[in-house]
Amino acid sequence: MIGIENITNNNGWAMAAVGAAIVFMGLVVLTFVISQIHKILKLWEEREKYLDRFKKKAPAVEGDEFEVPIYKECRLPTVDELANTYRPLVEKLKEPFVLSQLFEIASKIDLPHPHLSIQRLQEADILVAQGDGTFTWNNLIGNEGLNNV
Amino acid sequence: MFDLFLQFLSNTGYFLADYRHYVMIVVGCIFLYLGTAKKYEPLLLVPIGFGILVGNIPFFKGFGIGIYEPNSVLHYLYFGVTSGVYPSIVFLGLGAMTDFSSLLAQPKLMLLGAAAQMGIYFTLLGALFFGFDPKEAASIAIIGGADGPTSIFLTAKLAPHLIGPIAIAAYSYMALIPVIQPPIMLLLTSKKERLIKMPPSRNVSKKELLIFPVAGVLLCCFLAPTALPLLGMLFLGNFLKECGVVNRLANTAQSAIIDTATIFLGFTVGCSTQADVFLTPKALGIFFLGAVAFSIATASGLIFAKIMNLFLKQKINPLLGAAGVSAVPGSAREVHLMGLKEDPTNFLLMHGMACNSSGVIGSAICAGILWSFFI
Repeated sequence: MIGIENITNNNGWAMAAVGAAIVFMGLVVLTFVISQIHKILKLWEEREKYLDRFKKKAPAVEGDEFEVPIYKECRLPTVDELANTYRPLVEKLKEPFVLSQLFEIASKIDLPHPHLSIQRLQEADILVAQGDGTFTWNNLIGNEGLNNV
Repeated sequence: MFDLFLQFLSNTGYFLADYRHYVMIVVGCIFLYLGTAKKYEPLLLVPIGFGILVGNIPFFKGFGIGIYEPNSVLHYLYFGVTSGVYPSIVFLGLGAMTDFSSLLAQPKLMLLGAAAQMGIYFTLLGALFFGFDPKEAASIAIIGGADGPTSIFLTAKLAPHLIGPIAIAAYSYMALIPVIQPPIMLLLTSKKERLIKMPPSRNVSKKELLIFPVAGVLLCCFLAPTALPLLGMLFLGNFLKECGVVNRLANTAQSAIIDTATIFLGFTVGCSTQADVFLTPKALGIFFLGAVAFSIATASGLIFAKIMNLFLKQKINPLLGAAGVSAVPGSAREVHLMGLKEDPTNFLLMHGMACNSSGVIGSAICAGILWSFFI
């Protein structure tokens, strides 16, 4: 028997395809492994350096966990405290004023979070909108504090 | 007295010879000429050529003289071929002589060794197409690996009656690399591609060279355990060389042991080409398919290198694909010479050796795979 029939009857197509695939796969795996040998060796030879780095990092993480007071330091001031801080600034401005003026003065003297603080004063009705884009200071609340209202 | 003289004459080679013996003697002389005058693979062609002369001296059968007669000296020596002992020993020496550092420095070149093995599988189909039985087809196909010991090893396991023609075909084509490969290289590559320079290889550490044979034998032999007699010995030889504590063994493996095995392998393979066994239509078919296998293997490597270049930033010289066949170091040398011809400052020898080493491993795996298909 000769020709394609002989190839088919003797499973030639499958032998050729499987054989080629296996040898290719084998050498690809070997290629990958040998391309990694020098990297693995480098890692092994410098293991002390990596271990030291790991050891140094570990206590730092533990320290962070214990420094909970950081959050205490970062607590937001109350509205009363904000009103006391911002009232002298408003007094410098001519009423009605625009919020950008107040923001500018607060930023100049490095008050923390001026944008957020002004927003809270607005929400507490200490800064009252006049309807034309300007604001005034609500003396009733702003001078005596929320607790006294 | 005259009768005795006539009887003696009737037993001489001159009387017993027919034209086939003379044809084979001429072939043996050509091998000796190519090996000595042209220096084409002399280590192989000289013992084979002389073996062809010895194997084709006609003799009176039945006296235990010929290589195929039980209890003859040549038959015992031939046992090393039919049992696969000589190829394994040659691989031990080959491992002890091989420096894998160029391969370790550029592992991607190993893929060219894999691609060049495609010649084996195309030829398997070709041999089946021409009516060879599957075991014979597999034995013929392995010629595409361009590795003499591997071809002999697989043929001894699958089709021992074809050892002579297959071994002669494999070694002939290995010797004829300078004739076969250059036209294919020129045909499949452009001048611009042949001018591509390869970057210098990085230095490979001693530890890498030590780990490689261990990783290699484990990965390859777990995949194809039938390749163990070849790859086990190859990597053992390489480990002996690289470990540095058994220099005596390594030196013996790369000199006396491989030389002894090569002499007996070449000589007995030559002897096995007795005219009545060798000069058959099948042998002609084997020579034809062997040439096809070798050419396709070369072309596969070249084409795959070009395909790799489509994806690589640092292009590789596609000529290296031709060195993916495992004819060490003939094909690497040919690639190097072709590169030098195009640009005298382009040195491709070490890169070619990387592909060659990979080809040796690849063809041994292929032999293991083909053998395992028939177990």
